[in-house]
Amino acid sequence: MDIVRAKVFRFDPEVDHAPRFETFEVPYVPQMRVLDVLDYIHETLAQDIGYRWFCGVQKCGCCALRVNGRELLACWEPAQVDMVIEPLKHVPLVRDLVVDRGPFEDDLMRLETWLQRSKPHPGFPEPLFHRAMVPAIEALKCLACLACQSACPVLEDDGNTGFIGPAPLVQLAQFALDPRDGADRGRTAAIEGGIFQCISCYKCQEVCPTEIPLVDGIIEPLKRKAIASAPEKAAHTRAFLDIVEERGYIDPVQLVLKTRGLAALTRPGWALRLLLRRKVDPRKSVFPKRHKGVAQVRKLFEKMRGRRS
Amino acid sequence: MKLAYYPGCSSQSTCLELGASMAQVAPRLGLDLIALESASCTGSREIRSANRDLFLALNARILAQAGALDLPLMTVCNTCTLNLLDTRKALAEDSETRSRIGDVLGELGLVYRPEVEIDHFLWVLLERVGAGRLRELIVRPLSGLKVAAFYGCHLIRPQHHYGFADAREAHMIEDLADILGCESIDYIGRTECCGFHTSAESEKVAVGLAGRYVRSASECGAHTLVTPCPLCHTVLDAFQGQMSEQLKTNLDLPVLHLPQLVGLALGLKPADLELSRHAVAVELGID
Repeated sequence: MDIVRAKVFRFDPEVDHAPRFETFEVPYVPQMRVLDVLDYIHETLAQDIGYRWFCGVQKCGCCALRVNGRELLACWEPAQVDMVIEPLKHVPLVRDLVVDRGPFEDDLMRLETWLQRSKPHPGFPEPLFHRAMVPAIEALKCLACLACQSACPVLEDDGNTGFIGPAPLVQLAQFALDPRDGADRGRTAAIEGGIFQCISCYKCQEVCPTEIPLVDGIIEPLKRKAIASAPEKAAHTRAFLDIVEERGYIDPVQLVLKTRGLAALTRPGWALRLLLRRKVDPRKSVFPKRHKGVAQVRKLFEKMRGRRS
Repeated sequence: MKLAYYPGCSSQSTCLELGASMAQVAPRLGLDLIALESASCTGSREIRSANRDLFLALNARILAQAGALDLPLMTVCNTCTLNLLDTRKALAEDSETRSRIGDVLGELGLVYRPEVEIDHFLWVLLERVGAGRLRELIVRPLSGLKVAAFYGCHLIRPQHHYGFADAREAHMIEDLADILGCESIDYIGRTECCGFHTSAESEKVAVGLAGRYVRSASECGAHTLVTPCPLCHTVLDAFQGQMSEQLKTNLDLPVLHLPQLVGLALGLKPADLELSRHAVAVELGID
């Protein structure tokens, strides 16, 4: 009989001094899922193992965990011969594979993720067309499983960047992209969500079990609203636009100076090293070469200026 | 083999050595690069967030320029590659926007050309030049050189462009390293993010993330990192001092651009490849 070897993260902070891994050998059965392996362990080998599931059919989002370093839903992924099974990252641990969803729910309260109408409800039937809901539809596929939150590298350093993470932002987008909503979601995304700290790595998108286009369909539309509502938080983006419009290309030295101002000069030793190694050339920033396409680029800026779509 | 060449902003500013090494390497590979000198920035992550139509128009203009030459378009930056691919996909899926952008380009005397092939240099090496020809061209196999591949995000994610259900499956750089005679080492950062896209505002995230990867590559025995993206290169190379401070260690791992690694195997001298421009000195024992 084929055997599945599952090395499972075990830790009960109330009892154990340190986390450990426990290896279980589980008889493989055809079409076995990760959840079936955990069920077998619970029923046969270690009754006290902590894991969570509810629907078992990719709807509730309760059973997200990591297998061999990758976030997935235990109910929806096939078992592998050798698995290291761990809890999600960037959320507090309750026990073994069970994480505390409390901080995520607190984030949602902070982001006020419910529909806020600026005009009175028009009554039933409400005039709402499919087309108007298209931008929000992807966000509405979210199971709130927190796989994306676990995969986000910006949250690695104990979340000290001010970035709230992708999972709460998807919930925010459900309302930010809903035509019925009237709250200033862009400002919330910038101030409460720290959205400009997103590094666009697509790791959240890669692990999303419902294949939400988290970067292009969620983060970017939210950023667009944030740039309009909280321009003081978008200095980097505004500087970038100005430089490309002026020159046709980006000059990194000018970008850093424009974005950070005098704060850019706080590491003179580093700047000197880059100068000595000829990594940067301030002459190019001060006396830029004439870019052959700049007239056309400016024309495109002029044509598209009103279109902050 | 003639290719339109989009050099991007980095190879003309903070990574001049990338442009210089490409100029040396391309003719030796039989690549005749026609640089798009009036091409603009593709908008990085900023313009695409701020103004999507402008982002599409800038990239469509670049595709129109390559199309006018009837040549495939070669890129050397991951983010630029993704921006061009995203533009082509967005305009293929939205005829209304395609027609609007087409009209604007028409006023500039340009025609949007969706059929233009977009090829990063890494793919050109493996797919157009090919392993067989590359092996014939090697005059100095890099045996004994241990390289750690750093792919950078935008050449392996998102899945709908690149096909990896799990980007950790990527192995193109390791394949190339094998052809060049090097040994690839495994470490924790291969397919991770360098954090570049918030670094102009603050290098905190980039230094925190990339520091771990550089340290891991170093501890796993790498002699050098190699990356196909100048943005990753900027973080991995120029911020190593800050990484060392943060990790209270002394990181000193060279970071090569892809054409520099290829150039060494083709027998080019370090000076030809402008290895002296890196923030971290490149001392690999190769003259």
